[in-house]
Amino acid sequence: MYMPDYEYHAPGNLAEACALLGELGGKVTVLAGGSDVLHKMKIGSLAPDHLVSLKNLKELREIRYEQGRGVVIGALVTHDGIYRSQLLQEHFLSLPMAAHTMANTQITNIGTIGGNIVNGSPLADLPPILVALGASVKLVGRSGERVLPLEEFIVGPGKTVIAQDEILTEIVIPDQATTGSTYKKFGLRKSGALAVVSVAAAVTVEGGTITDARIVLGAVAPVPLRAKSAEASLKGKKVSDAAIEEAAAAAAADSRPISDLRGSDEYRRELVRVFTKRALRKAIDEGHV
Amino acid sequence: MSKNYNVIGQSKPKIDGPEKVTGGAKYTGDLKFPNMLHGKILTSPHAHARIISIDTSEAEKLPGVKAVITHKDVPTLKYGLSPARWDENIFCSEKTRFVGDKVAAVACLDEETCYKALKLIKVEYEVLPAVLDFLTAMDEGQPQVHEEYAKNINTEIHQEFGDCAKAFAEAYHVRTDTFIGQRTYQCPIEPHSAISMWDGGKLTIYSSTQSPHYFQHYIAREFGMDIGDVRVLKTFVGGGFGGKLEPTGLEFAGVVLAKLTSRPVRMFYDRAEMFAHNRGRHAQQMEITTGVDKDGKILVAHANFKMDGGAYTSLGIASAYYAGALLPMTYEFDNFKFDMFRVYTNLPACGAQRGHGAPQPKYAFESHLDNVAKDLGIDPMDIRIRNARRADTVTPNDFKINSCHMKECLERARIISGWDEKKKNKVPGRGIGVSTGSFVTGAGYPIYRTDMPHASAFIRVNEDGTAATLYTGSVDIGQGSDTVMCQMAAEAMGYRYEQMKIVASDTETTPLDFGAYASRQTYMSGTAVKLAGEEVKKQILDMASFMLSVPPEDLDCEDGIIFSKSREDKSVSFQEVARKHFVLRGPLLGKGVYTPPKLGGTFKGAAVGTSPAYSFGAQIGEVQIDAETGEISVLGIWDVHDCGKVINPRLLHGQVHGALFMGMGESVWEEVLFDDKGKIINPELANYKMLTAMDMPPIESEVIDSYEPTGPWGAKEVGEGSTNPTLGMFSNAIFDAMGVRVNSLPLTYEKVWRALKEKREREEAGEGA
Ligand SMILES: Cc1cc2nc3c(=O)[nH]c(=O)nc-3n(C[C@H](O)[C@H](O)[C@H](O)COP(=O)(O)OP(=O)(O)OC[C@H]3O[C@@H](n4cnc5c(N)ncnc54)[C@H](O)[C@@H]3O)c2cc1C
Repeated sequence: MYMPDYEYHAPGNLAEACALLGELGGKVTVLAGGSDVLHKMKIGSLAPDHLVSLKNLKELREIRYEQGRGVVIGALVTHDGIYRSQLLQEHFLSLPMAAHTMANTQITNIGTIGGNIVNGSPLADLPPILVALGASVKLVGRSGERVLPLEEFIVGPGKTVIAQDEILTEIVIPDQATTGSTYKKFGLRKSGALAVVSVAAAVTVEGGTITDARIVLGAVAPVPLRAKSAEASLKGKKVSDAAIEEAAAAAAADSRPISDLRGSDEYRRELVRVFTKRALRKAIDEGHV
Repeated sequence: MSKNYNVIGQSKPKIDGPEKVTGGAKYTGDLKFPNMLHGKILTSPHAHARIISIDTSEAEKLPGVKAVITHKDVPTLKYGLSPARWDENIFCSEKTRFVGDKVAAVACLDEETCYKALKLIKVEYEVLPAVLDFLTAMDEGQPQVHEEYAKNINTEIHQEFGDCAKAFAEAYHVRTDTFIGQRTYQCPIEPHSAISMWDGGKLTIYSSTQSPHYFQHYIAREFGMDIGDVRVLKTFVGGGFGGKLEPTGLEFAGVVLAKLTSRPVRMFYDRAEMFAHNRGRHAQQMEITTGVDKDGKILVAHANFKMDGGAYTSLGIASAYYAGALLPMTYEFDNFKFDMFRVYTNLPACGAQRGHGAPQPKYAFESHLDNVAKDLGIDPMDIRIRNARRADTVTPNDFKINSCHMKECLERARIISGWDEKKKNKVPGRGIGVSTGSFVTGAGYPIYRTDMPHASAFIRVNEDGTAATLYTGSVDIGQGSDTVMCQMAAEAMGYRYEQMKIVASDTETTPLDFGAYASRQTYMSGTAVKLAGEEVKKQILDMASFMLSVPPEDLDCEDGIIFSKSREDKSVSFQEVARKHFVLRGPLLGKGVYTPPKLGGTFKGAAVGTSPAYSFGAQIGEVQIDAETGEISVLGIWDVHDCGKVINPRLLHGQVHGALFMGMGESVWEEVLFDDKGKIINPELANYKMLTAMDMPPIESEVIDSYEPTGPWGAKEVGEGSTNPTLGMFSNAIFDAMGVRVNSLPLTYEKVWRALKEKREREEAGEGA
């Protein structure tokens, strides 16, 4: 439990922060809640020369609705903030409920949505449901900003396309036609458990027919994985147990799990099937939950 | 024995409650002393390696480093907890035997410098092949963990009582099952820490310990000091569960660093270092064979075990003996055979964990017994009641049982859990299981050989009588012994609990007591406290007799009031009499001491498992299994205990809940896991899955009205006995729910899922044929 030496910076605003990130030499790490960063530093897997804290960027702590854009979530909103957001609860309850499955009270009070995304862990709890809801991320750097789908942002375990001088500022969930979404996490105890497998599903059902579906698998691939053949198998189908079973089996086939201390690949693949089935059933029957 | 008591038998508030809930309580790691240095230990990154060289020169040059020590700077005397096998050194000199073995230590101005200094110590290793699998550790051609112990055998036990061969031959049904128990770790929430300081030739150590006395003994021995020159004391301790029973490198290295620098040195473990130091539950393979008659009456049992001791002995010889010794407790049978090998491996050393040695064998035996019951078509509850031990019996291995309500515990648990109802109306995926347990109320013999009494206490009544202070060596590590001891002192004195103060667990101010292990304190320390209180009472009545002109035989004292038994007008307050006593006769003091009677048989190992009294208990649990995922939901647990007279009901049920919490974790969730190089891969609480409050099921905890004739007011143990049945209970509930048995701990969701899957596949194959 040894914190290596580093220099600490707390820029006053976004422009300053981006400038600083661009100027600083050596290894630079952005610090939000620190629940991933400080842990990695203590176990010795991360040793930055500089930590740049975002704590003064108050504007990134807000959640609001913008006509034409959708629900805009500041990158520094904590998991608890997401869980308690009236706005999110009304629009996409599935996201607050996903935040609620995370970690424990200490961590949900400090960990942020931005950190959960940029950390790039395949078993992180928020990316799957956000990808299922078609969320995009806004990145601001010294020379401007860019917006890209979250799905394209995470590219490998701990790897994203963010540039050294960029800060993730907003996550946007667009207005959409989906009729239901949910996130199912399988952990090995009731609190403080990491996902063995997780499944997010968002569906559009019109008159008993599934017109669109997005299924995203967590903890079974290097990135949150779209189960594309499962999605395709549902399109245009009438809602039925058989259709759901078929999609669930396809999702299991789409998954690429490994064996580790939380479960074998074989077990995980089967869990993908079970939880895809349960997630689809829930999203179809109960809406955004 | 229905007598009204004024202080015991009541849920008096914990004496240290306010300090703890307000955060005022200071634990060892919170203490600060002037000029205090911080120390850290460098450990081996290899499971088995020869030390070629150690170069500390760079570390010594770092500013802020005050001392760097290696094996050259410390005594070479080997230490351990079981005297029969002292095999551990303060620092390794020739080779390291597990990832985490101690190599060097530093003392620095601050913690940060310690970490930097550790990195600058250059140790050259020659990595050796390691022994990582205890099941093959004794095989030909395996590396030797210790040169002096051939085939890596640390302890070998072969015991036989009665005539097993004959009993097996005569049995109606003989069955063998083999089970595996996993390695678990106690995980006390407070990490170990120790602060050592010297004053001339006198050494003082503050330590988070379960036994200041054993620490004092072993530290004095290691450094060739007089016991009287070593003072060990604790402040508050945040749990031990067996993991803080022996001195660690924190004490041994700290003592040397403090000596070299002439400054207090604070040493501590972080969570990963706690896991590496370990001394938790042994992994073991347990083969159980029983022979029963056609009604399921057990005639004979054979336990054939092998356990993974890790790199050192710790208290493991006792663990090995306990594994067999306590098997014939809850059920009566005359013929018993026990074979055991405890082997060395290049993994952290195992020792005593809550229920010392007994819970896993109990898991194996109780799982096996359900299999036998199923073979014979007998209800698991009925087979247990049929075999239940009775009071005033002797086990085949010569343990004398006084009070015992095993049968009543089972019968009561059967009723409150709705056993018969639930067995009749089976819900798919749901199962109910029962198991029994028993434990010693203090070990009959100390850990090292001595004729010293096991417990002693004294009470000093304040000069004006407004308070009384109990001095006891008993150790409150969170279980509440300070509270219980004060209740017992007040009861014996006829005084009020609210006016009691306590000074405990300081080898310089409090009299000898062996400490918090083997569930001994309420009984043994309590007996000494009771005697001390009675001695005070005798003197106070004598003084009052003089003041009231009433013969002492006619006086009694309760709740701080002395009164005549025959005349209502004659009474006086304890306070007034105590004051008068001081004025006329000097300090009002009482003392008490406890030595157990000579116990047990004469065979090799007969001492382990002896105790003046034994607790008994039955547990029933109900689980619901998700057939698709193997997830286990615990619907309810019912625990009924025979623990003699209850001194503090709330604390007692707290012990049952705590024991269940740990037992549940061991049953399904917890396991120390290693990579193929012997390094722990989950030395943290995210992946070593201790349960959380959210996971705890509804628990009904009851006690049977019981009286142990040898105990203080009839009391005996509860704290460890309640862990004993839990693993077997889960195994049996899951078996009942699934119809197939998982034969290894922990009974994880994945193992349950796999067992169900294989069962389905077998059934489908059967249908196909
Ligand atoms: C005990 C414990 C339990 C946990 N349980 C879970 C769990 O159940 N589920 C789960 O998903 N996670 C869990 N985590 C991981 C962690 O808490 C989450 O990933 C959390 O959301 C991280 O947020 P943070 O604000 O603390 O990120 P930080 O640690 O501050 O940062 C994480 C990463 O993101 C970068 N970063 C953060 N914000 C920005 C930004 N705005 N712009 C650019 N880069 C940024 C940082 O540089 C760093 O690389 C757990 C962690 C701990 C310690």
